[in-house]
Amino acid sequence: MTATATPPPDSTPTAAPRIVVDDVSKWFRDVVAVSEVSFTVGPGVTALLGPNGAGKSTLFRVLCGLVPPSRGTVRVLGGDPRRDRELRGRIGLVPQQDALFESFTAADFVRLAGATHGVADPDGAARAALGLVELDPDDHRPCSAYSKGMRQRVKVAAALVHDPEVVILDEPLTGLDPLQRRRMITLFQRLGSEGRCVLVSSHVLDEVARLGSRILVIAQGRLAASGDFRALRELMDDRPHRIQVRTDHPDRLAVGLIEAGVAVGIHIEEDGLVVDTRDADAFGRRIAPVARDHDARLREVTPLDDDLESVFRYLVERR
Amino acid sequence: MGAAAAVAAPAALRLSFRTVFRLLLTRGRLIALGLLGLVAVIVGWAVGISVEPADQLDAGADVMAGLGLAVLIPVVTLVFASASLGDLRDDSTLVYLWLRPMDRWPLAVGAFAASFAVAAPLTLVPLAIGTALTGAGAALVGASILAGLVAVAAYSAVFVLLGLVLRRALMWGLAYVLIWEGFVAAAGAGAARVAIRAYTRSIVYGLTEATTDTTTMSVPTAIIVPLLVAAGALALASWWLGRTDID
Repeated sequence: MTATATPPPDSTPTAAPRIVVDDVSKWFRDVVAVSEVSFTVGPGVTALLGPNGAGKSTLFRVLCGLVPPSRGTVRVLGGDPRRDRELRGRIGLVPQQDALFESFTAADFVRLAGATHGVADPDGAARAALGLVELDPDDHRPCSAYSKGMRQRVKVAAALVHDPEVVILDEPLTGLDPLQRRRMITLFQRLGSEGRCVLVSSHVLDEVARLGSRILVIAQGRLAASGDFRALRELMDDRPHRIQVRTDHPDRLAVGLIEAGVAVGIHIEEDGLVVDTRDADAFGRRIAPVARDHDARLREVTPLDDDLESVFRYLVERR
Repeated sequence: MGAAAAVAAPAALRLSFRTVFRLLLTRGRLIALGLLGLVAVIVGWAVGISVEPADQLDAGADVMAGLGLAVLIPVVTLVFASASLGDLRDDSTLVYLWLRPMDRWPLAVGAFAASFAVAAPLTLVPLAIGTALTGAGAALVGASILAGLVAVAAYSAVFVLLGLVLRRALMWGLAYVLIWEGFVAAAGAGAARVAIRAYTRSIVYGLTEATTDTTTMSVPTAIIVPLLVAAGALALASWWLGRTDID
């Protein structure tokens, strides 16, 4: 696990990278969306993790050739996705936007995706792809009548209908119910285990935890970390945690926590404390005995930074 | 799932035509623009019953050129052609035709063909009926249809490009049709050279005995120049599709 932009996340070092991003920046007028990003991605599932507005979708658009990088180079399966016509047939994209051809049925939409990818039997391929995402190919309702989750599954089917070698999915789990989310994650893992390069973006840490072990973390347009997900979790656990404690005797409790060695910083407020600790688990174990020993009544103990945004902030600022 | 391959140009053209054609056919558009065509029929009928037979050719040519070629065809074509790729770009669905192993030009030409296929019957049928009802004779009907075909082709290509390149293409297109072609180009021969309407009017007056137009363009010029403009617009749209950012 690193907090720099260099290490590749390939789990199989011998596998040739399917995607090579070298010092890529992308800006729109004076807004920098992606800045000096480098990484490689091999076969299997890799998650791109980042908060909203971090640059995930822009990076995916660059990977698919939808926009050219302002600086740097991108190679997908050895080719330039912006210029290589045949390469576009080897990529499957689930874009973030919700829009579909609203008057089309799901089968029409996926069949069109197959036909425009040059699939020999678009109808059969569409039925198979819709089956993968558990949608009925004989449903005659237009896409405009579909729920958000069903529309997401239509997009996934359209991205898979031509059996692509590289699958790029931008927030594909948005709008899915928990059961569908679990099934979709299983599908992505299966695609990865079959040797495809599957790159999935998400801003939800728990989703990424279930997707696989390789991750790229992007924040403020920069690659904040890349590597194994477990290592990131350890890094998260190592970072200082900020915890708010409400008590009737903040001063007594502050002294006790310092004496117990579980606080690296304390800010005393009128009805409590804000404590910085490097070991949240030890703090959790010690807070109650310390309060009892110092005759302080605990009213509330709340972690203030146990969210993904704070993780990103830590990773970026630490660098 | 089946194996994919690059899509040959004829197949790409057919697919883009079918897709855009289907997306363009909305009930609201068809009803609104169909009613506009009905106006041309009613006006033609009104001219036919109110004008002396000796004046029917001039009156019929003026009305059909002034209404059909100046308003009906450009406005109907603008609505469809600017939406053909413009709507896809605006709602971010262009990616579903763009990120494909296909050349760019079949997408532009397919959108043009779809716009033409929708706009031509909606405009040329009422134009032909309205012209016939003026009582001006078969020559004016034939000239109107030929001029209308050239106009739909030229406007379709230009407005496909406009829809692709500009936000609010409908507004800019209306400004071109109503302000540039309606006033600026009508005021001078120089400006008329960059107005499609000036060419299509010349076809009507050049192929009939109507005497109320002072245009000096020859009929071959009036046919060929708009078609060259259409070809240029489609080439530019194809090039633009290859270099523009896609959402």
